[in-house]
Amino acid sequence: MAGRVIVVTSGKGGVGKTTTVANIGTGLALQQKKVVMIDTDIGLRNLDVVMGMESGIIYDVVDLAEGECRSTRQSLVRNRRFKNLFLLPASQTRNKDAITPEQMREIVDELKEEFDYVLIDCPAGIERGFDNAVAAASEAIVVTIPEVPAVRDADRIIGLWLNAKEKDKEKKEPVLVLNRLRPDMVRKEEMLGVDDINHTLAIKLLGIIPEDEEIIIATNKGEPVILNQHSRAGEAFKNIVRRLEGETVPFMSFDTGIIGRFWNMLHGK
Amino acid sequence: MLLSATKSLLSDQLVFKGLKQGLTLFIPEEKSFAHWLEILDLQLKQAKNFFQGGAILVEIGERKLSPSEHGDLKRLLAKYRMTIKSFNPLEKKRFNPWPREIQKKEKQAEVLFFKGTVRSGQRLENDGHIVIKGDVNPGGEVVASGDIIILGALRGIAHAGARGNLQAEIIALTISPVQLRIAHIFSRTPEGREERQGPEIAHIKGEKIVVQRL
Repeated sequence: MAGRVIVVTSGKGGVGKTTTVANIGTGLALQQKKVVMIDTDIGLRNLDVVMGMESGIIYDVVDLAEGECRSTRQSLVRNRRFKNLFLLPASQTRNKDAITPEQMREIVDELKEEFDYVLIDCPAGIERGFDNAVAAASEAIVVTIPEVPAVRDADRIIGLWLNAKEKDKEKKEPVLVLNRLRPDMVRKEEMLGVDDINHTLAIKLLGIIPEDEEIIIATNKGEPVILNQHSRAGEAFKNIVRRLEGETVPFMSFDTGIIGRFWNMLHGK
Repeated sequence: MLLSATKSLLSDQLVFKGLKQGLTLFIPEEKSFAHWLEILDLQLKQAKNFFQGGAILVEIGERKLSPSEHGDLKRLLAKYRMTIKSFNPLEKKRFNPWPREIQKKEKQAEVLFFKGTVRSGQRLENDGHIVIKGDVNPGGEVVASGDIIILGALRGIAHAGARGNLQAEIIALTISPVQLRIAHIFSRTPEGREERQGPEIAHIKGEKIVVQRL
C-alpha cells in the first residue's frame, strides 16, 4: 500500500510549519513508521537545521529533480538517531522556480511507494512554492496561531486547498493545528480562543500546541521537542501523531497545571 | 464566475476551448502578459501534434494589449502555424443580446445558492441574488446585483445591488462585516459595535445603510 502524503502549510510565515513537520516526523518515526520529510522551502531551507541533520546533506530536492544524483535514495539524508527517518532537503542556493509541480509529483510518487509517510514542509506564501508543495499531497495540515492575520491567511490557504481538492479527487478535507496557544491570555480575552478560530475556519482540529519555551530551546539544539518528556508542547505533538494514526485522543486540558488549578480555585471552579 | 480569481492561481495553464465561434484561447487577466506568453510557448511545444495550425480566437477579457504585446502573441502563434481570427468572442455575445423578454425572465430566475464558507481571498459574484448557507469570513467578498442572504455570519464584505439597485437588501444571521455596500453606498461597521445574535437586515434608508433586527 502506498504511504500517506501530507503537506503542512499555513500561508503566513513563522507560525510553526517547520516545527510541526519536524515533530510529527520524529513522532511517527518513534512509532516505527518509515518517514520522509521534504523541505520545499527552496532558497530558505530550515527543516534540516531544526532536525539537526544539516551536516548530512549532499544532494537536495533540486538536484534530484534535475537528475544530478543517481537515485532518489541518494538524495535522502538519514537521521542518526532514527534509522527510519529521512529528509529530502531544499536547495539553499536556488529559488522556488527551480522545480515544477510536475517534478514534485514525480518525486513524491516514487517516495510514497517506499515510505509510510511523506511529510511536505510548505513555504510561506501562495505562489509557486505553495503550488509545488501542494501538488502531490493528498492530505493537508494547516498550521495557524491565535492571531488575526494568521487566521486570515489560514482561511485563504484552506480555500486554495479546497479549490485544488475539487480538481484532484484524491485530496482530503484539511485539518487544523493551532500553535502557540496561551490559555492564560485566552482567559483574559486578550487572545483568540480555540472556539473563535474553529468557528471561523470550520475545519477539523488535529491538535492544539501550547506556547512553550522548550520549543525555542529544542529548535536551536536541532532536536525536536517531542523528544523532551517534560514539555507540554512535546506532549501535544505526541497526541497529534496518535490522532494521525487513527486513535481518538482527547484534547489536552490547559487548566490542570499548577497555575490552572490555582486559577480555578480562585474563581471557584 | 464562481471563485475564478483563486482558481487560476493554482493552475498556471492556459485553456483552449471549442466555442461556437471556433477554437478559443483564454488568457487570464491576472499576471503579466509576458508570463502567459511563456506558458503558451511551453504548452504549444508539448502539444505540437495536437494543434495543426489554423485560425483561432483569443479571449483576453478586460486586458488591453500594447502593439508590441499583440505582435509578440502573433509571432508566437505563427511559430506554430496559427493565426488570430479575432479577439474576445465572449464580448461579442454581450453586444448582441437575446430578445428582451428572455433576458428578463432569466434575470428573475437567477439565484446563486452557495453551500459552504466564503473564505479569505474568495469572491462570490452573481448577476441576481445570492444565498449562502455558511459564513462569509473576513477577507471574503460577496457581490450580487440583487439581494444577499446569508444563513450564517457575515464578517467579510458584502455588496448588494451592485448594478445600482437601491432596493437591494443584505440579510444575515450575524452582521459584523468589514464593509457593507448597497448600490453605490458604503458603510463600515461602527467601532466597538457588539456582535448581535439573531437575524439582521441591512438596507438603505435615506442616504445611509442601516442595520436592524429582522
